[in-house]
Formats: sequence, C-alpha cells, structure tokens
Amino acid sequence: MIGNSVVYLISAAIAISAFYIQGQEYMRSLVRGQLIQSLIIAAASFLLAYYERSMDLLILGILLIVLRGILVTYFLLRQIPRRRSYLYERNVSVPALLLVDLVFVVIATFLVYSLAFSKIVPHSVLQNSSVLLFPLILFFQGLFLITSRRGTITQVVGYVEEENALILFGLFLLPVPIIIEASVFLDVLALVVISTVVTQEKDRHEPVEELKG
Amino acid sequence: MNPEVLEGFAVILVPVIAGILSLKEHRLSSIAASGIEVLISIAIFFSGDTSGIFYINHVSKVFIIMVASVYLLSTIYSMEYLEKDTWLRHSYYFLLFNFFTASMMFALTINNYGLMWVGIEATTISSAILIMTEKTEISTEATWRYILIVSAGVTFAFISIILIYYNFGTLDVSTILSMAPGDSLILRLIISISLVGFGTKVGIFPVHTWLPDAHSESPAPVSAMFSGVLLPTALYVVYTIYRIDEFHELYIWAGTVSVVFASIFLGAQRKYKRMFAYSTMENMSIALLGFATGSAVGIAGALLLLVAHSFGKASAFYSSGNVLKSYGEKDIDRVTGVIRAMPVTGSSLLMSSLAVTGTPPFGTFFGEFLVLYAVYSGGYIIQFILLAIFIPVAFISVNYNVTRMAFGHESKKIEQKNGMPYIALAPAVISLAIGIGFLVVTYALV
Repeated sequence: MIGNSVVYLISAAIAISAFYIQGQEYMRSLVRGQLIQSLIIAAASFLLAYYERSMDLLILGILLIVLRGILVTYFLLRQIPRRRSYLYERNVSVPALLLVDLVFVVIATFLVYSLAFSKIVPHSVLQNSSVLLFPLILFFQGLFLITSRRGTITQVVGYVEEENALILFGLFLLPVPIIIEASVFLDVLALVVISTVVTQEKDRHEPVEELKG
Repeated sequence: MNPEVLEGFAVILVPVIAGILSLKEHRLSSIAASGIEVLISIAIFFSGDTSGIFYINHVSKVFIIMVASVYLLSTIYSMEYLEKDTWLRHSYYFLLFNFFTASMMFALTINNYGLMWVGIEATTISSAILIMTEKTEISTEATWRYILIVSAGVTFAFISIILIYYNFGTLDVSTILSMAPGDSLILRLIISISLVGFGTKVGIFPVHTWLPDAHSESPAPVSAMFSGVLLPTALYVVYTIYRIDEFHELYIWAGTVSVVFASIFLGAQRKYKRMFAYSTMENMSIALLGFATGSAVGIAGALLLLVAHSFGKASAFYSSGNVLKSYGEKDIDRVTGVIRAMPVTGSSLLMSSLAVTGTPPFGTFFGEFLVLYAVYSGGYIIQFILLAIFIPVAFISVNYNVTRMAFGHESKKIEQKNGMPYIALAPAVISLAIGIGFLVVTYALV
C-alpha cells in the first residue's frame, strides 16, 4: 500500500515536471526540465523493479539514466551555442499558453481515459487503471509543447516527453520486452542526433509559403 | 538454417553491407546490392512461407519484390540524377539510402510487432537527411516537419504495441494471428490507435501533412522511394495489425474519407511534385480500402494496385526530376511543351500520369476496379458512391495538369543526361505490362 502511494507520488512529480517544462522560455531550462523528468521516471522504474523483483525494470531504469538522462541531454545542450547561452523562445506568451495547455491536457486526458483506458487493469502491482492518467497527461503535454512552440530544441523536448509518456505507460501497464524498449531509446537518441543537423541550419520553424497546400 | 530464414537475413543484410561499403565505393556497391536484392526477392517469392524469426507470407512477398525493384531503379537513377556537389556527400547519401531499404525490408519480414515498429521508426531516421540532399531552407523545413510529424505519429502507434503485448502476452505476429482474439475493447483500441499512429506514415487523412512537403522537396529518387515503397511498407504494418481483429467499419470509412480529401487537395495543387504526392495519398487510401474489406478480391486488388502504383509513381517522380533539372521550375503553370522539348521524358510523364490515376490497361486500373468491386459487394454502398465520385475527380485533376505540362508551345530541344529519360520511362512501361499481364492471365483462366 505504501509502495502504491509512493508510485502515485512519483507520478504526480512527473506530471508537475511536464507543466514545468511548458512554463519555460529559456532553452537550457527546458532541457534541464527534460533531464529531471527522465530521472524521475527512472526512479519509478527502480521502485517497481524492487516491488516486482524484475531485472528488466532495473535495466530499464539504468537505460533511462544513461541514454535519456545523460546522452539526450548532452546532445540537446550541445545545440545551444555557448555565445547564446541565454537562448530563449521568442514571441511566446508563456502564461497564456500554460493556461490553454492546462485546459487542453485536462479535457483530452479526461476524455481519452474515460472512453478508452478506464477499464484496463494494469498487470503490475498497481492494479488500478487510474495510474494510467499520468502517462496520458505526459503524452498530451508533449503534443501541446510540439504544436505550441516554433523552436527546434523545444519541439525535440516535446517529442522526448511523448516518448517518456510511452515508457511510463508500459511501465505501469505491462513493460514490453527489454530489447524493444532499448530499441525505442536508441531511436529517440538517433532522432535527437539528427535534430542537431537541422538545428545547425534552422532553429525556428515558421509557416513557409512554398509548403502551403 | 532453412533457406527461407537465410533469404530473410540476406534481404536485410545485403543493403546494410552495401551501405557500409558505400563509404569507400558507393557506385559499385549500391548497384551490385540492389541487383542482388532483386534476385533475393524473386527467390523469396518462389520459396515457401515462413514464421520463425521472420514472418513471410504471400502478401509480404509481393511487398518485398516491390521494395527491391524500386530500390534498384532508384539506385540507378540516383547515379545519373545527383549533382557532383550536393550538400550531402554521395557516399553518405548511398549509406543512408541503403540503410533506408534495409529498414523497410526489416519491417516487412520480422515476426514481431514491436520490432516492426522499430523498423518503421528506423525508416524515418535513415531517410530524414536524404530529403536535405540538395540543402535549401525549404528542404530543411520539410525535413523537420517529416521528422516531427511522423515520429509523433509513430510514437502514438507504440501504444498499440504495448496493448498488443498486454492482451496477448507476446508480440510474435504468427502466434498472435493464430490465437483467438481476447477482450474486444482492447482489440478495438489496438486497431484504432495503429490506424492513427502508423497511418501518419501511410499518409491517411488527417495525419498526412508531412507527405506533400517531404515528397516535393526530396531529390526525385528519394521521392520515388517514399511514394513507391515506404508508404506501402507502413501500410503493410497497418494491415498486419488490422488482421488481429478486423474492424471493417472504421478502416473503410477512414479509407473513403482519405480518398475524398486527397481528391479535393489534388484539384488545388500548383506544383507538380506536390500533386503527385497527393496522388500517392489517394492510391494508399484505395489500397487501405482493399485490405479493409477483408475479402480475397479486395486484398488481391490492393496488392495489384500497390505494385502497379509503385512503378507508375517511380516513373512519375523520375520524370518530375528530369523536368525540374531541365526547366528549373516546380510550378505546373511554368512548365509547358515537355513532349517537344524532351520527347522521352514527356512520354514517361504522360504514361506515368495515366498509370497512377488508374487508366486502363495499366495495372492500377484493374487494382482499383477490384477494390471498388469488393467495397460494393461488401455492402458499403455509401462509401462506394463517394469513391465513384471522387476517384474520377482525382483522375481529371492529375491528367489535366500533366497534359498542360506535356503539350504546349516550348519548341527548343533540351539536352538531358543520356540515361535519365529512359530510366524514367522504364517503370511506366512495367506498370503497363503488369496491367496487360493481368488481363492476359485472367483471360486465360476464364
């Protein structure tokens, strides 16, 4: 019972970290927010590994720290030039967006959860479908971050948040085989590396006349 | 190790090895690998089905042949098409091009839904930078949109993979397809999420938005690979998940709505490569409909359509590449008299346009006909009526624009590299041959 409460507490911290990221204007803060979020998910993985005596979850936690916590953060921080270390997202009204985000995430999560996921019982020790609310919050939060911002780095962070939501979803429902989880991590890492190439050429993405229609 | 498994490994590893060798000698290794790949795919076609490490059946064999053929054609065309001083060095271009093919082959052959997902995601990673080969600000933007939209969609699809594992306790394709389906709510969720998630890669409305951007800004051989084989590969994954529990209504409506919107978008296009991209969206949606009916006629129609379309669309993009190189214009209005200026390219442009819009006797016509027949005989009358209205709309939009480009007042001859016009013409002729072959075989059987 105490274990369950701790998992819920950690999950709440993950949701808070998602809203923290949405509230950031500066790129460094965004990337650090992503790092904190990945570390909290790793903590959830270690906790469940302990309760379920699962080696796979232990490896998953380690992968989270090494690949997402260290490597993804390293590649993202490298995209922020030293001379522009206070790089921030221009023309963004953070408080207004945060408000819209809150409304969107609450409505979307409520609808999707009650229509689709409320009857699904996790196989893990948690045994309660309400825990699936947290990955849904994280998923919609990531989606909103991608659509509401124009900066390459911010959009990558939004994408990483979506992937974190998947990890959390699997963690709570039933973790898929570790070989597949590891492939997912490597995929994300590869995409972050590719984004480095794009960022060097273009760090903001506005509508383009040539690509209309 | 039995021969089927050996062939499965070979069809993935040959392009991987070629990719690595491309760093030293890209021309020879890529041409040799693509030729060998066609031979292996033919061997697979005539071998038995397998369901161990690999899951290869009568449907996936058709896709494997399709990928290998367009890979060979696009490799040859790339040699002629690429300028000497592209932003992406040729060795890296072929490294990624070969890895791109390997990842498609992996997704088509592997006997595991989770690894199929990895294969589809790997196609994004390997192909994204290819869009930027001739780097411009617009192609960089198109690359970014491709990465972000497709990755977000495919990430969403991973929820369906988790749910498959949750429901069946395994991700083995052959094992799951032989099991009795479980809880219907979860199955419906799996099928619906996979349609939206993987549908992003297939180009199903409304998650198709990356498609015209990436197709129009890529070099012609990459556009041909995207349109001819990448989207069908993603469609194969959608179909394989759909087979777990066939949710006919959702898929048939999704396919119909997607055809309707693709036809509407087609009418508004001013750039020929974007127009061909929307035509791909229309064809993929019709193929989805064929699979969604679940009937033998529908599936046969979808396969025939996809094979004929892959050659037809490869020809359309190679022809577009030739036109772009010679005229330096992307707008339909600014290109005229292609037939007079470049007779072979003009012919391939016209033929490919007829091929991708389902004109008789091209293979696409018979494919579309079978799919429509399956939709009608399945009792989906409203959908059939909508298709009967909007497929001709797409036909008129594409052929009207291509006719304007092909005929007109341009009189001076334009010199082209020797091989390019003929490489563009060859797949259109193959698409025609597929239709005639189908007609002859059907006539002989009846």
